[in-house]
Amino acid sequence: MFGKLKEKLKNWVSKKKEEEIVVKTIKKTPTKKEKPKQTKELEQSLEETIEAPIEEKGFFGKFKKRLTDEKFEELFAGLELILLQNNVAYEAVAGIKLSLGEKLIGQNPKNVDLAKELKESIESILIDPPNFIETIKESLEMKSPYVILLAGINGSGKTTTIAKLAHYLQKNKLSVCLAAADTFRAASIEQIQQHADKLKVHLTKKDYGSDPASVGFDAAVYAKKNKIDVVLIDTAGRMQNKDTLMQEIEKIARVNKPNMKIFVGESITGNDATEQAKIFNDTIDLTGIILSKADVDEKGGTAISVSHITKKPILFLGTGQEYKDLEIFDKENLIKKLDL
Amino acid sequence: MVLDKLGSALKSGIKKISSAIFVDKKLVDAIIKDIQRALIEADVNVELVFALSQKIKKLAYDENIKGIEKKEQLVKLIHDEIASLLGNKKELDLPKKASIMFLGLYGAGKTTTIAKLGFYYSKRGRKVALLGLDTQRPAAMDQLEQMAKKAKLPAFIDKKEKDPIKIIKQYETELKKYDLILIDTAGRDGLNKELIKEIEKLNKKLKPDFRILVMPADIGQTAKTQTQEFQKALSIDGVIITRMDGTSKAGGALTACAETKAPVFFIGVGEQIHEIETFDPESFIQRLLGMGNLEALLEHVKSATDEKQQKRIEERMQEGKFTLLDLYSQLEQMNKMGSMDKLIGMVPGMNAAKVPKDMLAKQEGKMKHWKNAISSMTEEEIENPEILEKQTSRIQRIAKGSGTTTTEIRELLKQYKMIKDMMGMSSVEGLAEGKIDKKMMQKMAKKFRGKVKL
Repeated sequence: MFGKLKEKLKNWVSKKKEEEIVVKTIKKTPTKKEKPKQTKELEQSLEETIEAPIEEKGFFGKFKKRLTDEKFEELFAGLELILLQNNVAYEAVAGIKLSLGEKLIGQNPKNVDLAKELKESIESILIDPPNFIETIKESLEMKSPYVILLAGINGSGKTTTIAKLAHYLQKNKLSVCLAAADTFRAASIEQIQQHADKLKVHLTKKDYGSDPASVGFDAAVYAKKNKIDVVLIDTAGRMQNKDTLMQEIEKIARVNKPNMKIFVGESITGNDATEQAKIFNDTIDLTGIILSKADVDEKGGTAISVSHITKKPILFLGTGQEYKDLEIFDKENLIKKLDL
Repeated sequence: MVLDKLGSALKSGIKKISSAIFVDKKLVDAIIKDIQRALIEADVNVELVFALSQKIKKLAYDENIKGIEKKEQLVKLIHDEIASLLGNKKELDLPKKASIMFLGLYGAGKTTTIAKLGFYYSKRGRKVALLGLDTQRPAAMDQLEQMAKKAKLPAFIDKKEKDPIKIIKQYETELKKYDLILIDTAGRDGLNKELIKEIEKLNKKLKPDFRILVMPADIGQTAKTQTQEFQKALSIDGVIITRMDGTSKAGGALTACAETKAPVFFIGVGEQIHEIETFDPESFIQRLLGMGNLEALLEHVKSATDEKQQKRIEERMQEGKFTLLDLYSQLEQMNKMGSMDKLIGMVPGMNAAKVPKDMLAKQEGKMKHWKNAISSMTEEEIENPEILEKQTSRIQRIAKGSGTTTTEIRELLKQYKMIKDMMGMSSVEGLAEGKIDKKMMQKMAKKFRGKVKL
């Protein structure tokens, strides 16, 4: 999914290298009078960075050989564009810029490898997800059932993700039951019922319009009675700016005391991803995030945006319509794909 | 409101230009930076944003244009460029008999949109049927069935059949009885060749008059690719953007439509069945620049009004009887139109940003109290609330009986009086006939602004 970003970064980095090489060769052959216009400009700009400070006289000149604010702005502009085009939210890009700026401005420009620095910066934003199954198993030794709550905006894929998670847990020898706490959307209960039938798991459900918190509660009671390991609670989609609906999810979380609270977001969401993740995180203090529809958008910048804003790990990526299409989020893999 | 942030960046940019003594490089750069940020945060395609910045720069640095002329040209340029980002207005021009096929990504809101649109057109006198062809997602058929029930429309579905073509055949003759057929299809990724092939097949078989893409407002930079792919495969006729009631600014979706020349016909603005509006770029810009939007409000009023109820009130008014119960049902209908803050955002001169959020919640809570108070009144009191005004003891009794305060009851009486007064105005005739025009709306807004305390 990061194919494009990788490609672009590579292009950008190699372009820079080529440019450097061009400049060097040109310097070696000063007799050549006609330089391509672009190269000329570039040479000039590079000389400004590296050479201009040296022009300062004497001993102190050496100390002035530093990366200036303006030059950093200029250098980062290219990277900024790439990140934005790859769907990283403006806020996250600004955050990365700030931390890089703090680190690099004032340094000797010759020692600055911006691509490497960017890689490190992204590395520090993304958090390694904890081992999902281990975490649950450890907790189960002390207390069961293990309750997982899923929340998100309308149409982000909560119900499908729940089915995938249930399948994944079953494969790891954990028993599962579901709670249909989306009592609002038309046919939401029928939808999760079909998944429950296919997966052969129990579904706790009530009528449409009933209190979602109580559905989750009943499911936990059922799980305890029947010695089921994990309860997955499906909730109605809600826009993060609807106060009453956010109060409702807060109540669901308060009543059910889930061990894990997961935000299901979409990989295709743009700048609003930060706003969504932030408000859900502020309301129910998320444990982690699952990004659905990662197969639709190969850009993948959303992962960086939501991690930056919530400081919470991305647990899984939804990568298709089948139950098996749930990938553990691999930070190293992502960074490797960036190939900086 | 939703668009405040983008709007305020644009407004402040324009203000900076008009109030500056000299339009110098520093000023221009600062303004461009603000606008760039606002547009990128609204998910507008990054390349388009940078192209726009270049245009502003070119004009601003042009030495030949000076003084006021330059300022005017800059402001006009910004307005026009944003307008062209949004595309031109184009209405969905339905012939007498028509069919529309809906397609789009997973979870974009196709099924909900179809029910809303069916409701919208049935209110406008069309004989609408919904056809469910999403055989992929579990319970998609049930969802369409339940939504159709809410909209009081027939839904043609088959919960067991997995082949959409067979479902089409099954209902072919029956569907001929309807003049507008709205067709639901499974969610799909525009880049997935197999799924695109499938929709092409459906398109061939159904030969719908229109193909409409449904897209969520919060979609990011991928909006363009998806729109292009769907456009390439099917030549879509237009787009409906959903989730416009969130905090996203829909820049991605809107500009993708403008770029691929696919007009935006409607926008979805809530979870209720009537929460769909036609889209007009010009009034969208007006909203961006904080000028309110009368047309959208009028349309809202039309959709939420229950005609029978309206008629009853109308009759009562003609008889000169307007009781507290009528007031209550009137207020309740207003509530149906959506949350108060959305309505207020659309009334010119009333800016939701100026009204504290909890105030709006309070207004909705007030309604409950009023209902309780009304049920604690005698029939005589409900019919002639005027008798309450002078008798404090009655008010106290009602307050005690309903668990409210006398202040609340007095407030209710004040509202009642105000509405009754308003009905005494010349515009009542228009109101009673359901003809609310722009001018009247403005008049009402003016009157309300002074009197209604939220």
